[in-house]
Amino acid sequence: MRNNDVLGIVFSNTNEEALSELTARRTTASVPIGGKYRIIDFILSDLSNAGINNVGIITNKNYMSLMDHVGSGKAWDLSKRRSGLTILPPYDGKDYSNVLEMLYNARGYLESCREQYVLICNSSIVSNMDFGEVIKFHSEKDADVTVVYEEMQAPQGIERPMILRAGEDGKIDEILITPNPTGVCNITFGTMLVAKDLLLSIVKEELSLNHTNYKKVIQEVVSEYNVYGYKNTNYSAAITSIKEYFNFNMDLMNPNVRAELFSSERPIYTKVRDDTPCRYGLNCEVKRSLISQGCVIDGTVENCVLSKGVHIGEGSVVKNCIIMQDTEIGKNVNLSYVIIDKDVVIQDGRSLMGYESYPIYISKRSKV
Amino acid sequence: MFPKQEVVAMLLAGGQGSRLGVLTKKIAKPAVPFGGKYRIIDFPLSNCVNSGIEAVGILTQYQPLELNEYIGNGQPWDLDGMHSGVSCLSPYQAVDGADWYSGTANAIYQNIDFINRYNPEYVVILSGDHIYKMDYNQMIKFHKENDAACTIAVIDVPMEEASRFGILNTNADGSIYEFDEKPEHPKSTNASMGIYVFSWKKLKKYLIEDAANPDSSNDFGKDVLPAMLNSGERMFAYPFEGYWKDVGTIDSLWEANMDLLDPNVTLDLTDIFSKNPMMPPHYIADEAKIQNSLVADGCNVYGNVEFSILFAGVNIGKGATVNSSIIMPGAVIEDGAVVQYAIVAENTVVGKNAVIGEKPENVANRDDWGVTVLGDNLKIGDNTVILPKSMIDKNVGVKDDEE
Repeated sequence: MRNNDVLGIVFSNTNEEALSELTARRTTASVPIGGKYRIIDFILSDLSNAGINNVGIITNKNYMSLMDHVGSGKAWDLSKRRSGLTILPPYDGKDYSNVLEMLYNARGYLESCREQYVLICNSSIVSNMDFGEVIKFHSEKDADVTVVYEEMQAPQGIERPMILRAGEDGKIDEILITPNPTGVCNITFGTMLVAKDLLLSIVKEELSLNHTNYKKVIQEVVSEYNVYGYKNTNYSAAITSIKEYFNFNMDLMNPNVRAELFSSERPIYTKVRDDTPCRYGLNCEVKRSLISQGCVIDGTVENCVLSKGVHIGEGSVVKNCIIMQDTEIGKNVNLSYVIIDKDVVIQDGRSLMGYESYPIYISKRSKV
Repeated sequence: MFPKQEVVAMLLAGGQGSRLGVLTKKIAKPAVPFGGKYRIIDFPLSNCVNSGIEAVGILTQYQPLELNEYIGNGQPWDLDGMHSGVSCLSPYQAVDGADWYSGTANAIYQNIDFINRYNPEYVVILSGDHIYKMDYNQMIKFHKENDAACTIAVIDVPMEEASRFGILNTNADGSIYEFDEKPEHPKSTNASMGIYVFSWKKLKKYLIEDAANPDSSNDFGKDVLPAMLNSGERMFAYPFEGYWKDVGTIDSLWEANMDLLDPNVTLDLTDIFSKNPMMPPHYIADEAKIQNSLVADGCNVYGNVEFSILFAGVNIGKGATVNSSIIMPGAVIEDGAVVQYAIVAENTVVGKNAVIGEKPENVANRDDWGVTVLGDNLKIGDNTVILPKSMIDKNVGVKDDEE
């Protein structure tokens, strides 16, 4: 099986409820993260870097920002003459109620693509994953389905995650749907590789039986088919709650995490904006921060992630904050543990303090 | 069939730029990095796009590989239209008459066919070694209003510097009556900026005549413009106000970069387009100190940086000091190294505790001081000292077996 015999399907709305305010007006996939990125940049780059040329993004609602961000797919090299990026919105006027319905609705797209295999991904995982290895693993094991899993601390925000038990050869014995697990476990977020025909036949059969619980269906598939587990050993973060979102951004201060996530062999691509280099003023003090182009910094910044075009005024002290693009922080402002969305204006002299366990969130285009 | 374009811009990018020394050893001058994420050519190209000029020819000759690759299909500048956009024009062979570009005018002469395809009214000739922002429309409007054959942009320079420039002496209405190339006793302070607007029919005529003249050096400044003036063509000087700098020398390149850090300088980098690096945001570490600097994506700063410009993917080690310097893409300044008043070209590694350059006030004899330049892809060994004003194009202080 060649990598270009695989097409990607990305769910853009996974875990929307858990990210609450961040996804009030956008998909999980288009949540800004890591300074200059959106969550979906990681999965799209992973797919593109593996030589996968056709990617369908399944959307449900609020996908304006997503469409604006991905555009033609050119930024990820997913805009070729015969293949590329396709957005798959619901087309019967109703919102999707479950994942199987989404896949069923995408059947026309799936059937029209030349590829024989489908790599199903969701947009809650941030990782620089080598899907080429997953594809190799799938052929070597002669698997019907390969489920990608992460060995990680059980994340918040997912009520009943899928935890798998696999034998030494990687064959999955069972998948448990455990309420509120604790400690380190083998969790899958539903990333899997499967032959297109098999996927479509399972989806059609289960829907005809009125089975709509995706996780239950996966459990059944494990008992009926040859299902293997591929462990993703690269750094990965599950963005399943505001807390996890905050922690991931702060994790980027670790040089090892950055090296693994932004490797030069498999770059992470994003939509390009023509920003000037970041400008540091005469009296600024900056420590332990990740800062994007287009920023102008005249104040004190510590332990922050700043997206493109953020301005920090003179005398302001900004600590432990995540600030999204084009937000203006005036003079003598004091901020700590605040997540500030796009295009916000914080006027001179304001003070906002959150806590590490409960960062404050300021919504898009607010004026404080 | 090409749709008509009222204006075609031709950008002269073939010169070696030998005064930039090691910086242009492997690349043409317009491809030299500038201002943290740009290359010099981004300025005239962005000016074209911002002036609505959609057909641009770039005349390349000296070391065109990197320049061609950088321009690509012109997409970063929006110059990838279906019937317009940017074309790199290298010298070519033909049944007769084609050869290396022997001068600036000859380069345009050999590409008359390229310009004719667009059937333009006006041709703008630009050079690839100036940093400025300009709306060429204003100049073309001025050209039309004066019913000129040729309009040359001029900038007011201080009288004491006027003898370094080509000076245009004009009548009260702005019409030119004399060219004065680097005059000893300048009569005016109108320095030519190397930006010309021609009515294409007129220019074509003079280019053909110039090509037929065996005594001509085929240069705009030396041959074509004087020939037009002598024939009594209407030629005007277009006064430009704003930031403009020729970056043809190491000192002027360094100064123009430093100007970006000066709040009193009016050059604003917004709307200058360039190819963007695919790198994460830059990281400023706990132990770092950074002030009055420009930093691009992908940098990791652990040391002290002031009055400096860091291009994409630069690493500054712990305890290192970078002052009043320009560090080009991918260069590494290792722990404890001191880099002052220097230009470090792409991917060069400065070893631990090395000392590159010096502050002018610490040099006893001012004649011994100058900006230090390290060429690209070099390794400067640990503890090596590179004196001010040096220009380095091979590894220094590295044992043979390490190379």
